Amino acid sequence: MKEREIVIGHRLGLHARAAARLVQLSTNFQSNIVLFRADSNNPVEADARSILSVLLLSAAFGSKVSVRADGVDEDQALESICEYLTG
Amino acid sequence: MKESERFIHGVVASVGAAIGRALRSFDPLFVSFNSKVRPDQVRKEVERFRGSVEKSREQLKRMQSQLKRKTGPESSFLIDAHLLVLQDRLFADRIIDKIENEQINSEWAIQQVSEDLFQAYDRLNDDYLRERRGDLEDIVRRLLHNLQSNPLPSFKKLPYDAILIGKVVPPSMLFELRSQRVVGLATETGSPLSHTAIMARSLEIPAVVGAPELADVSSGDMLIVDGDRALVIVFPSDETLNEYKNRKHDEKISKKKGGAVTSAPSVTEDRVRISLGANINFSEEVRAAITIGCESIGLYRTEFDFFREGKQPDEESLVADYSIVLKSAKGAPVTFRTIDVGIDQKSWDGVNMNLGVRGLRFCLENTDVFKKQLRSLYRASVFGPMRILLPFVSTVDDLDAAHQILAEVRQELDLKHLAYDPGVPIGVMIETPAAAQTCDLMASRVDFFCLGTNDLIQYYLVVDRSDRSVVHLYNPFHPAILRCLHQVYTLLHPTGKPVTVCGEMAADPPSAAVLLGLGFTSLSVNLAAYPRIKRMIRSVSYAQLRDLAGQILKMQKPREVEEKVRATVYRP
Repeated sequence: MKEREIVIGHRLGLHARAAARLVQLSTNFQSNIVLFRADSNNPVEADARSILSVLLLSAAFGSKVSVRADGVDEDQALESICEYLTG
Repeated sequence: MKESERFIHGVVASVGAAIGRALRSFDPLFVSFNSKVRPDQVRKEVERFRGSVEKSREQLKRMQSQLKRKTGPESSFLIDAHLLVLQDRLFADRIIDKIENEQINSEWAIQQVSEDLFQAYDRLNDDYLRERRGDLEDIVRRLLHNLQSNPLPSFKKLPYDAILIGKVVPPSMLFELRSQRVVGLATETGSPLSHTAIMARSLEIPAVVGAPELADVSSGDMLIVDGDRALVIVFPSDETLNEYKNRKHDEKISKKKGGAVTSAPSVTEDRVRISLGANINFSEEVRAAITIGCESIGLYRTEFDFFREGKQPDEESLVADYSIVLKSAKGAPVTFRTIDVGIDQKSWDGVNMNLGVRGLRFCLENTDVFKKQLRSLYRASVFGPMRILLPFVSTVDDLDAAHQILAEVRQELDLKHLAYDPGVPIGVMIETPAAAQTCDLMASRVDFFCLGTNDLIQYYLVVDRSDRSVVHLYNPFHPAILRCLHQVYTLLHPTGKPVTVCGEMAADPPSAAVLLGLGFTSLSVNLAAYPRIKRMIRSVSYAQLRDLAGQILKMQKPREVEEKVRATVYRP
């Protein structure tokens, strides 16, 4: 299992377009990928393959998000998801 | 008895005007029959649900490919989000779980699962994201329809032009009904950021949103949606109807003459090139502007990012913002206007901000804020061509003070060895009467000018645009305005400094034609008005408009001017 904390670099945060792209990107990997808000008192978890849960994460521009990948391709998954999220 | 005319105010989502009868979009959401399913029927019920998902997916795919063909890739991403919801674990799998475990029918399961999700959306602390609730509603509506054996209601036999109204109108409904005599849209809730609004703009359907008083309007009521004035007129009088019918007729002629515009060059009938840029408020719009063929971002209003969420961003995130804008512009030059506070707003103590500390005045009093923004702009300048525009300048002294600060900022960057383009052009807005009268005195101190007609008209005619009791006096065809613009042109033309007109006067075809006639060959308009202005440009003769300007400068009344201009621009 690999985990990394990043800062959302998309100007409008993880909104419709960015969220849709993230979900499409995540389905390219076999690993389970989970995001959670590192800066929130109420750490909600979001499945990166579920657009509804990604939207409900409500991650605005500049918010801190932890990405956790678990599976055979966790390194590549983490790398490419983090690269996308930081913009 | 004929009902009397009534005006409902809302927010503009898409420009243009439409006349038609109200068609209330009924909400089939949750008007479904809930029932238990016999244990031996559960598998069949799951299949029924899967069938409806499959059918919905096919419909959406078809819609997406039509949308791509019709409007380009810009709005087809809206459908991506819907397709992803259909295959979402949180959604479809949970519904199937419910059907299986609670032995209930699909409708009931959909209702329960989506109700949970709606509540989660409503708790979000973010306007933009709360709007996304609409996407989910849209999908749920589609699934429920597809579960019924009877197909989606057909509006094919609509006997009249219809204006869709409702608390919300889902984007897919607008798209599906576009060819069936739906000519306009007005909703009680929603914002210009909603997907329905984006869809309306892509389809060039006039739309007003956020007008709660629409709740009293019923299907069949006569309506006019005016997306230029943020207005819905209920039971319009014959006089009003005629006025709008003439406008529609005029626009039709212009549409026919201008043809398809996205890739067409912005040149007049007599081959004079007119530079046409876009006015932008948020970086997301930049990509859309480039997609529809904009060659420059003529005005990027920076105050929206700057005061986003009520707090000021730090320098690093500003640099990031501005470089994203420049990268998305793909080499098209971007004119960043430094923060202008107080536009169209009264300050907390009721003082009219329009006559107070605005634009550059604010920046010169808050040099820390101003310097931070200028440093960020300069640092981003390595990512693409940019220009810096100073708003609300009224004296040459202000301009000298601004130049002093600009020089200090460049010095700081040199000391820190930070890369920037030292040749970024610096310009000023002409939007105060003082600047209009003295722009020639400013010319040696700047590289370019932008003409902000909204404020200029407001100050010249002493009309506060936010005051409903005088707003009808706001008129770009007033001889005072024509003379002022003519004077600005005459003062600036010999200096050779470029001038772009970026106020709303440039966004309405007849008044934009006046600007061309007065000699201004560079305009910048909001995205929604972009197609119609390009169409106007392509359908007029520059030489003829120059002649026309000579005539209208001698006229006495705004009304005469407007009629004369319309007759020329919209000649059949």
